Amino acid sequence: MTKEAEYAIEVDRLTKRYGDLQAVNDISFNVSKGEVFAFLGPNGAGKTTTVEIIETIRPFTSGRVTLLGMDVTKKKRDIVQRIGVLPQGFSSFDRITVRETLQYYSRLFNVKTDIDGLIELVNLRDKAKEQYKNLSGGLKQRLGIAIALVNDPEVVFLDEPTTGLDPRARHEVWEVLLGLKKKGKTVFLTTHYMEEAELLADTVAIISKGKIIAMGSPVELIERNANYLALTLRPVDDKVFEIVRQMGLGPVLDTHKNIRVRVEHTYDVQKILNAIKESGAGYLGLDVRKPNLEEVFLKLTGEALREVPGEMETE
Amino acid sequence: MNPRIIFANLIVKLTGFYREKTTMFFTFAFPIILILVFGTIFMSQDSMEYRLSVQDLDQTQASIDAVKTLETKGKFKITTVDPAIDARQYVMDSKVNLLLVIPKGFEKYLIQRTTFNDNNASVTITYVYDPSSSSVMTKIQILNAVLAGINQRIAGKPPFLRSAERSILTRKYRFIEFFVPGIIAMSVMTLSLFGTVDSDTELRQKGVIRKLSTTPITRTDWILSNILYNFTLAVISTIAMLLVSYAVFDVSLHIDAWLPAFVLLDVFAFVGTGMILTRFVKEAQSAAAAANAISYPLMFLSGSFFPIELMPGLLQKIARTLPLFYVNEGLRASMIFQDNLAALKASAVIGVYAAVVFVLGIMATKWEEGT
Ligand SMILES: Nc1ncnc2c1ncn2[C@@H]1O[C@H](COP(=O)(O)OP(=O)(O)OP(=O)(O)O)[C@@H](O)[C@H]1O
Ligand SMILES: [Mg+2]
Repeated sequence: MTKEAEYAIEVDRLTKRYGDLQAVNDISFNVSKGEVFAFLGPNGAGKTTTVEIIETIRPFTSGRVTLLGMDVTKKKRDIVQRIGVLPQGFSSFDRITVRETLQYYSRLFNVKTDIDGLIELVNLRDKAKEQYKNLSGGLKQRLGIAIALVNDPEVVFLDEPTTGLDPRARHEVWEVLLGLKKKGKTVFLTTHYMEEAELLADTVAIISKGKIIAMGSPVELIERNANYLALTLRPVDDKVFEIVRQMGLGPVLDTHKNIRVRVEHTYDVQKILNAIKESGAGYLGLDVRKPNLEEVFLKLTGEALREVPGEMETE
Repeated sequence: MNPRIIFANLIVKLTGFYREKTTMFFTFAFPIILILVFGTIFMSQDSMEYRLSVQDLDQTQASIDAVKTLETKGKFKITTVDPAIDARQYVMDSKVNLLLVIPKGFEKYLIQRTTFNDNNASVTITYVYDPSSSSVMTKIQILNAVLAGINQRIAGKPPFLRSAERSILTRKYRFIEFFVPGIIAMSVMTLSLFGTVDSDTELRQKGVIRKLSTTPITRTDWILSNILYNFTLAVISTIAMLLVSYAVFDVSLHIDAWLPAFVLLDVFAFVGTGMILTRFVKEAQSAAAAANAISYPLMFLSGSFFPIELMPGLLQKIARTLPLFYVNEGLRASMIFQDNLAALKASAVIGVYAAVVFVLGIMATKWEEGT
């Protein structure tokens, strides 16, 4: 048996090429035990490739990857017993019920599983006798998470657990994941929803085109890369824009004729509002917001995380 | 290899199959419907071929015994014809294709021959027949064989060509008895081929296989459980077909260890073929099309429905290169002719085919992401 490792996952200079395509490009990171680690990145960034390499099911070009101190290229049999996986686009046997599916996977691992406890954990009590094909998308994902837990794994991999779900189903999955986090499981999560990363992750690695471009806690990442306040004003007349411009703050007008300004401190907001008041002009609406990971991503890559902003609300 | 995992997999597959009622219906009912339909169509032909009309002009104990011998030795269904009727007219009028006439004086000459050893005493049995009937020559051959047997017995010498006589008699089988082994071979082939191709491509496409590759189940466990699953279905299907054949058509088929052996070889051969197909066909739909493209020619060229002797020479040569042909041959050798040597030869051919295809199939089955 290998010595107990300090980290749950260690990835050192990992590279993966598909022919000419450099899907993962010389990345290194560690995942501590008990933390929720999120890989945040757009489609095709290399998330699944990396995760499946760590899960031992995908070969790689170069680098070194260890899981609980075991080399993933050599210890597949041991590793598989100690991890739980929700693959991207998870699916199961159509005609088999929730309970039977869990029993099946439990038998594959040859473990005694508290099936009822698991069903409870993912909130599928009413659906225990439902066949897989009759479950809605969110319920399928929750079953997938339960399956990933049948062997009481030390590390859980969740590859895009909420993609394609409606907002309500997504929140229900998040509930389940928060429960997991509370139990102190090490979780490796991939997502392209910054809210998800922000809500669940202790550490976020932003990945784009096979490279990790930033890593840290969500708060750190925002402070480091987007340390400002975003002020949005709905002016009564054009004079307001001129006033803010003269203050040297570089405002921009968006498509709805709202004025957008970035300021460093709350007293900057105060200053702007006072100036407007003094000039006798007015505003109809005001919004001050701290930036989120979306802005961090935008700043770092110059690209939006998702092609359609606001996708979550419209789904 | 892990029996516990293989068993868990078998249970899941069987449960899924059981709940998929349409698949279940087609898997089990389709071959039975074929047997019922073709069995009924050819039943009349079967019985006509072996019905024999006899006109006994002698009407003595000896002539009655002779008719009995024909009935038992030739397995004929005897219809007696009134001695007053004109034989030729009878054959023309009724739909009978052959009438056997026992002449007057049959008993008298028989006694002369057997009791007084008068070698000049003989009797002429007349076949009044319709030469346009296709089956009449077979019937005459059988009759000749039976008569030869009777002659020999009267001569009091042990028959020199005993085995030749037996061979003619045992080769006489009904169409349905030829058909049922062919349908068994065919349906075991289709269920194995389609079962493998359909479920494998679907599970692969849906990512279930990918999920399984992150669990302790191995590729070998997976493949063995597939074999076991298909064999279970094949056994159930075979039993159902045989029960119907016995109940409805009263077939006389010989069942021994060769039957499960050939069913198993059939399963191996076509699960293997299916695994190879799955490797090259990604989409579930095109996989089914590919399985069709393979199974139809096999069905029609391998003599599943009729003897390949009825096909042109070239097609017969092709048939001899097809795996299903040897399953057919083997099953018929054991079930109809009880010819162990022929069954052994067929099993050797299909066994080699199954082994090769199965090994290739295992190599072709991708478990983990290969790239
Ligand atoms: N088996 C493969 N063969 C060739 N190219 C591949 C293969 N798998 C992935 N790729 C390519 O590698 C790149 C990274 O893919 P990957 O699936 O890891 O991205 P991802 O971050 O998981 O994206 P998504 O959000 O769409 O799941 C993509 O450009 C993809 O097209
Ligand atoms: Mg992915």
